[in-house]
Amino acid sequence: MEKERTEVNDIDRSIYDFKDSEEDFYRVKEGLTPAIVDQISKEKHDPEWMRQFRQKSLEIYEKLRVPDWGPDISGLNMDDIVTYVRPNTKMSAKWEEVPEDIRNTFERLGIPQAERESLAGVGAQYDSELVYHNVKDEVSKTGVVYTDMESALTGEYEQMVKDHFMKLVPPSDHKFAALHGAVWSGGSFVYVPPGVKLDIPLQSYFRLNAAGAGQFEHTLIIVSEGADLHFIEGCSAPKYNVANLHAGCVELYVGKNARLRYSTIENWSKNMYNLNTKRAICEEGASIEWVSGSFGSHVSYLYPSSILKGDDSHAEFTGITFAGRGQNLDTGAKMFHMGKNTSSFINTKSISKDGGISTYRSSVTVMPGAENAKASVSCASLMLDDISRSDTIPAMDIRTDKADIGHEAKIGRISDDAVFYLMSRGISEEEAKAMIVSGFADPVSKELPLEYAVEMNNLIRLEMKGAIG
Amino acid sequence: MEKKDLKVNINPMPTLTWNFLKLNGADVNETIDFNGRGKSTLHNIPSKVVVSSGSCEECGECDTAFYEDIHRMDTGLGKEADGFFEENCDGILHVRSKKNARITEPLCISYSFEDRDSNAVRQEIIAEEGSTLTVIMDQTSGRKDSGFFAVQTKLKACRNAEIRFVGISLLGDGFLHLDGIAALAEEGARIELIQMELGSAKSYVGVNVDLAGRGSSFDGNAAFLRLNDQMLDMNYYIGHRGKRSESSLNVKGALRDRAVKNFRGIIDLKHGAKGAKGNEQEETLLLSEGVHNKTLPVILCDEDDVEGSHGATIGRLSREMLFYMQSRGFSEHEAEVLMAKGQLNFVRDLIGDEKSIGRIQHYTEEVFGDDR
Repeated sequence: MEKERTEVNDIDRSIYDFKDSEEDFYRVKEGLTPAIVDQISKEKHDPEWMRQFRQKSLEIYEKLRVPDWGPDISGLNMDDIVTYVRPNTKMSAKWEEVPEDIRNTFERLGIPQAERESLAGVGAQYDSELVYHNVKDEVSKTGVVYTDMESALTGEYEQMVKDHFMKLVPPSDHKFAALHGAVWSGGSFVYVPPGVKLDIPLQSYFRLNAAGAGQFEHTLIIVSEGADLHFIEGCSAPKYNVANLHAGCVELYVGKNARLRYSTIENWSKNMYNLNTKRAICEEGASIEWVSGSFGSHVSYLYPSSILKGDDSHAEFTGITFAGRGQNLDTGAKMFHMGKNTSSFINTKSISKDGGISTYRSSVTVMPGAENAKASVSCASLMLDDISRSDTIPAMDIRTDKADIGHEAKIGRISDDAVFYLMSRGISEEEAKAMIVSGFADPVSKELPLEYAVEMNNLIRLEMKGAIG
Repeated sequence: MEKKDLKVNINPMPTLTWNFLKLNGADVNETIDFNGRGKSTLHNIPSKVVVSSGSCEECGECDTAFYEDIHRMDTGLGKEADGFFEENCDGILHVRSKKNARITEPLCISYSFEDRDSNAVRQEIIAEEGSTLTVIMDQTSGRKDSGFFAVQTKLKACRNAEIRFVGISLLGDGFLHLDGIAALAEEGARIELIQMELGSAKSYVGVNVDLAGRGSSFDGNAAFLRLNDQMLDMNYYIGHRGKRSESSLNVKGALRDRAVKNFRGIIDLKHGAKGAKGNEQEETLLLSEGVHNKTLPVILCDEDDVEGSHGATIGRLSREMLFYMQSRGFSEHEAEVLMAKGQLNFVRDLIGDEKSIGRIQHYTEEVFGDDR
């Protein structure tokens, strides 16, 4: 009898891999010049300070070098990237007013349904601009502001935006932060007033439809003292034969005793360079929780950072990365302990298969004076075949004696002993291996909202016919 | 005396990470008054061991096929630092145990210095097929002495051979110290490395291990103590090429006052190294507010049928342990000293040579005695 081959399927991307026509869309020319940056600024009706900020960022971009560490990004040529593509529609608060083809896209991705069933508010970005933004009335009445960045920038929250915009991730941080500062467009602004606790999440979904385009959305969230928010971000794109670029920026300000959970399922297509920057700062007693699933992209550089500035603040990062054929995903987290009695916890899982490269990279920095800091890092990697690769590069920089830092990491394949044990209990080899891989991902999937956990389980679903590895 | 510039990037990482961490390598920029002074002696040379030294033309040992592959190997200090040895060392000390010679007594190499001595040496140690060889190298000077000492050691354990190499550094508090090691293990061979890094103002230790042979193994144990403004920069690279090769690395130590330590430990499970296992553990005890510890434990994995793991524990003496010891009548300071000694003694006791252990004990008593 011919032995059936068992394999962990690649992620089924067919539900994401559809394209709409770009007829009538507004596009700037490919490449990056001061004139293009001014053109974007003009199209977005920026205030003058923002126009100047963009130009200054472009100057910084020109001076900075591409990273000399991490995956190769030589296939990314900024001269070929269109930095601004605006669909031929205005932002709406009603799905019916969104053009049909774009609405269909989001329907297929399940966004309107999710909004009806389980979300307090939704923002949907298509290429460079938001096409839909709505927040439930009862949420608005609590004083929560959830709007697109452009409205926030030109409306009553301009000063708040000005005070916070790229203060946490300055354009000088790295080359792609500078790029973002120059050409950013779209994204969401969230303000949660003191003491307001949202029981159900807000969600933004980012869809990049245009070939050869970049998406540079900016997410700015301010959670005031004692408030509580869960924000979900999802992203996808169809696959093209040219490189696409995502260089978004997320800045999260978590006030005294506030809590923010930021969940992301990233499922960009495999021609995407995902060079995203995410950073949170926590005041006294505040808590940031990152939940991150990285499944898509050709190349990813993604390391959400938490600055524990206030005493007794806390950060957690729970992440899973699945690197398949043609993917080089470099993911992880950074923790900076500055306040006293701070704590951080990193728990990550990586799966590599079919020639995929997965790299876990992290840093834990404990500054002088961060007395009684506690940090724990745990990372595990699973290799599903011998043509893939998995690297683990965690760093710890400890500058005080009053700290307790623990770290552990493991790399390996599915244990033969575990499979044997399960088989001795009457479970087939295929089922046993499926159970082990599911169990491996379980600590992360259980942290995700239900619909995302289901999506993630689908993404790494095992077609148990044959042998893994 | 001759002024020599030592401007090199030392202990480079095989794979880079964020530059802000300043762990991708160490930039050394020193000018050394190089006088070639210092004393070296060999003790306990067993009959089945060939020892030769002098310039390469004189000794002829280099030309034998044994050395060909290790000549090509870099030490963990990296190419730039290795270049310094080539430029500044006249000859190489060769030690070779003959085929199937089971030598139980350690051969001892002692380098001793006085204040302002500076020197650089190269040594190559080979255990021929089926032989076992233990070499203890100690480096000493007066506690308050300054100077420079750089030592490059290349080890090769041929098929089913075993090398035990012990390096003990007790140089004075003003020394700049470079200690580069390259180690190659053939099929079934075993290399054991024990290091005590106790002296010097600044030390750079770089170890590059190539587990080339099937079933080869490396067992590394290192202990360190850094006080006042002392600095230690460590780089351990363990490459697994051979099937079923195994490695273990344990690094333990303590930092006090304003001491600085950087540790890089890389396990590289290369493609084809089926059944390989690599493990590294680091424990660092932090004893003062002003210390600075950086740790970068890396696993590179290009093969599925392998196991790689690492762990690190960095911090102060646990509150529970302190409470327990205080309940037994120890002061906090005494408890910390006891625990720091415990870290060192764990590795020291592996040496198995009473003279060496006594010398280390004397040194640590003296150092901790300064507190009284």
